[in-house]
Amino acid sequence: MQPAQEAVPRAEGLIRPLTADLDGYRRDESRSTGEAETISFPESEEEVRAILRALHADGVPVTVQGARTGLAAGAVPHGGHVMNLSRMNRYLGLRRDGSGAFFLTVEPGVVLSDLRKRLKARDVPSDGWDDASLRALRELADAPEQMFPTDPTESSACIGGMTACNASGARSYRYGPMRPHVTALRLVLADGDVLAMRRGEVRARGRSLALRTVSGREISLELPTYEMPRCKNASGYYVEDDMDAIDLVIGSDGTLGVLTRIELALTPAPAVTWGVSTFYASERSALDATERLRAELADAAALEYFDGAALDILRRQRDSSAAFSSLAEPPAGARACVYVELQCTDEAAALADVRRIAGVLRAVGSDADGTWVARTEVDREALQFFRHAVPESVNMLIDERRRADPSITKLGSDMAVPDERLHDVVELYRRTLAEAGLESAAWGHIGNNHLHVNILPRDAGDYARGKELFAGWAREVTRMGGAVSAEHGVGKLKRGFLETMYGPEHLREMARAKLALDPLGQLGRGNLFDETYLEGGERHG
Amino acid sequence: MADGTLHIAVCVKAVPGSTDVRMDPETNTIVRDGGAAVVNPFDASALELALGIADARAASGVPTRVSVVSMGIPSTASLLRDCIARGATDALLLTDRAFAGADTLATTRALALGLARLGRVDLVLCGKMAVDGDTAQIGPELAGALDLPCAVDVRGLVACSEGALRARVGIDGGTAVVELPLPAVATVAKEAARLRMPSISGVLAAEGAEVEVLDASGAGADPARIGLAGSPTQVVRSFVPEQRSSAREIGGTAREQAAAVADIVERMA
Repeated sequence: MQPAQEAVPRAEGLIRPLTADLDGYRRDESRSTGEAETISFPESEEEVRAILRALHADGVPVTVQGARTGLAAGAVPHGGHVMNLSRMNRYLGLRRDGSGAFFLTVEPGVVLSDLRKRLKARDVPSDGWDDASLRALRELADAPEQMFPTDPTESSACIGGMTACNASGARSYRYGPMRPHVTALRLVLADGDVLAMRRGEVRARGRSLALRTVSGREISLELPTYEMPRCKNASGYYVEDDMDAIDLVIGSDGTLGVLTRIELALTPAPAVTWGVSTFYASERSALDATERLRAELADAAALEYFDGAALDILRRQRDSSAAFSSLAEPPAGARACVYVELQCTDEAAALADVRRIAGVLRAVGSDADGTWVARTEVDREALQFFRHAVPESVNMLIDERRRADPSITKLGSDMAVPDERLHDVVELYRRTLAEAGLESAAWGHIGNNHLHVNILPRDAGDYARGKELFAGWAREVTRMGGAVSAEHGVGKLKRGFLETMYGPEHLREMARAKLALDPLGQLGRGNLFDETYLEGGERHG
Repeated sequence: MADGTLHIAVCVKAVPGSTDVRMDPETNTIVRDGGAAVVNPFDASALELALGIADARAASGVPTRVSVVSMGIPSTASLLRDCIARGATDALLLTDRAFAGADTLATTRALALGLARLGRVDLVLCGKMAVDGDTAQIGPELAGALDLPCAVDVRGLVACSEGALRARVGIDGGTAVVELPLPAVATVAKEAARLRMPSISGVLAAEGAEVEVLDASGAGADPARIGLAGSPTQVVRSFVPEQRSSAREIGGTAREQAAAVADIVERMA
């Protein structure tokens, strides 16, 4: 929505050296560090285009960054240029369709917490909006409260980054990842040309895709031929026969273009949200309960898990740290916890679900007394504090150990398997962890058979054994029909796992699809696959 | 404690769940329409102290009854049921249009009638204050009405044994431990305890629990001593302070700038 007469920006003033004071832009939340010579902070699509055109002439690698909250090092530079989109954080417009649904268009740097706050307060900045958007905004004020459902733990994530890695969160159990909630986007290609995509408008024929840029250029590409796993998945390009073109971009880890505009489908906020924490004397009971809860609860928005080690870490934190002293205390003897979030149309429906949960607990021999039901804001906040305290406490523990041995870091898995393999994959984790003699804590999205198993290395030897273990899990999870990355994306840290999951031939197909849109292989170098897959393109073919 | 049961009554108040409240332009009191009401956080701490005493006594095999009592609109019953879900034994709601508009004195009279209805009570716990009214008067006024000793601003419980309550209370510049013979009244600070969450069993049991509801005549109230009619306090005006800020650049010589500042200050007066 730039004024038409705006002068074309000149890239020279926008690209600056990545000097020591900007060192933070060489890192992200994955705690890895990269190198780059220059950086830019564009504030409009026109500036993004000008910068990319200038860099394209010399084939300079470009790493796109948002809020740098990713855990797979997708935003860590790999030489060349860093394009940071955090200043592109405007709200651009609102649309309402015939069914009454709302669609909000934002720039990629809009931060999730800000989006949530503005939707809750119905206070969306509307500077420069057209009449249709302003009309929709007036309708939003009188409509039932709307929300954006994707809820990664890190709410300082930005919408561009969440789209690039197809982010998820606890509520993805019900709402799925980012993908279904992105209805349109604009993608600037490496040469500065633009693809404008809207869901439903351009589909592949089988695995062949024909795209047309806004300048009228035709781009044809052959999509990779692999079949994706039938489970939660953020591993590599999304491909299937006759797919919607927009789905190739969502989850492409910044390797195909730079997102400059994203339209999000909003969802009516639930009338009633209750959180229920259930505790078990054994992991097996918790897994059995999970399978029953999945079958019986139609209104569950999230099914989350904490193993006995994670509960022990919280018990210790509660006793030793003032900041955690208000944590709710898990029942004595609890060795596993399953948290259920219910989102219902009214309290009677929520109460009926609570009765169903009580029935499940009885069936697996667990106790309905030692449970927590959060029905008030204060109690919901207490449960959220409890859930978020687990990763935070583990990070603190690792930081403490790093002081003794700086070579170690946290090793967290992000794999998922189909429903019927839940018991198998947990058995795999437990057996191999015990064999390797490694300390661990596991938590995460058990409703999607997606646990973050965190290895807590005591020294460099543990760290090496842990990495080896993960490589083995990647092979086994692939055999189970699972995904090596279910929500964090592959980035730079998990590309070895992606090679295990799909094999070199399919990675070559991915590289060829990328090179059709980014012929010099400039964008997101090192993400998804090793850059040797890009060299010469055809050499691998 | 004749039969060995310790009876604790906890007074709770429904307060708005957010700071966005409506005021009645006629009476200048808060419009209580039940929208997103919550238990006053100070009262929640008082309830947890009571439940903690009950737990400790249960571990030694001695029984405790924890009653919650409130004066409020009919929908306050659901908050009282939530207190039962968290472990309270029973609940009493005083509700009648005749109770509306009460100041702290008229509220105290109504609560005292409710407490009388509960029978012998060994310990009355209140929150130190309510987050909407901020008066901190109900507990001490209740002690006066019931002619009982009173501890205010309880930060933690030291012991609640047969016949006596020992508690750590806030005093100027620190805390002190006080001991009161029972029966007694105590008001509780927010940081004294964090109210437990209800369990599934508690939630389901509370659904079938009865909240006793009492109107003014049922409570035996004198209409002249309750509600607006029984309130000597008159709220003349209440308002939310409006925050305004603006900036203006002042130029010119030092003398001109000083004159401009003096002018601004004068206009503000």
